Amino acid sequence: MSTSTPAATGKGFGRLLVTVYGVLAFAAVGRSAYQVLTKLEHAPVAYLLSLLAALVYVVATVALALGSRPRWRRTAWCAVAVEAAGVLSVGVLSTTHPEYFGEATVWSSFGQGYGYVPLVLPFVGLWWLWHTRPRSDDPASAPARPTEAR
Amino acid sequence: MVLPLVVLAVALCLALAGWAAWFALRDRAVVLRQLFAAGAVEAVLVVQAVVAGVLQAGGHAVDGPLFWGYLLTAALLLPLAAVWAFAERTRWSSVVLLVAALTVAFLQWRLWIIWTEGA
Repeated sequence: MSTSTPAATGKGFGRLLVTVYGVLAFAAVGRSAYQVLTKLEHAPVAYLLSLLAALVYVVATVALALGSRPRWRRTAWCAVAVEAAGVLSVGVLSTTHPEYFGEATVWSSFGQGYGYVPLVLPFVGLWWLWHTRPRSDDPASAPARPTEAR
Repeated sequence: MVLPLVVLAVALCLALAGWAAWFALRDRAVVLRQLFAAGAVEAVLVVQAVVAGVLQAGGHAVDGPLFWGYLLTAALLLPLAAVWAFAERTRWSSVVLLVAALTVAFLQWRLWIIWTEGA
C-alpha cells in the first residue's frame, strides 16, 4: 500500500530541498563540532547554539527525506518551524544585543555566514510541507476504503 | 595541496555542473555517464588528499582538523549526492547533481584558502 506515496516530501523538488538541507547540516555540524571541541570556552553560548541549530538541520534533513510517513512529516514540520523561529529570533537578537553571543552562530545576522541559506531554507521547507500535505479529497492519499473497491 | 590539482578539480566540477544544468533545462534525469564524470572528480580529490598528506608530513603547516574536515566533506559529497540523485528519475536529479558539483568546487576553493593560510 505504501509503495505509492503521493505526499512524499523527498521526491521531485523535495529531492533538491533535502540535498540543500543535507549540505547545510553537514557544514553546520562540522563547523560547530570543531568549535565546541577546540575552543568552547571562547564563546560557549554561540558555539552550543550553533551545535543545537546544526542538530535541528540533521533532524530536518532526515525527516524530509522520509516525509511520506505521518510521523516523519510531523517531525519535519517541527524541525523546520524551529529553524524559522531560530533564524528570525537570533537574527534580530544578534543585531540588537551582539554581546549575548560573543561569536557568530549559524543563525547570526539571519544566516549571513552561510550565504543567508539558513534564512531562506526553512520557509521553502514550510511551503513544501504545506504543498505536499495529504489531502482528503485526493483519492490516492485517502485511507483505503475496501467497501468501495471493485 | 598543489594549485594545478585545485584548478583541475574545480574545472571538472564546473564542467559537470554545466552538463547537469543542461540536462535540468532539457527536463532529463541524471545518466550513468555523468556518474562516471563524478567519479573522475572523486579521483582528483583522492590524489589531492594523498599529495596534501605527503606535503603535511613533509612539514607544511596547516590547521589539521579544519583542513581534513573540509577535505572529507568534499570527498563524501559527490558519492552521497550521486546515490540520492540517481534514485530520482526526473529533472530534479540533474539539479541535485548541479548543486553537489558547485558545492565541491566551492569546497576546493575553501580548502586552498585554508591550506595557504597555514596553521
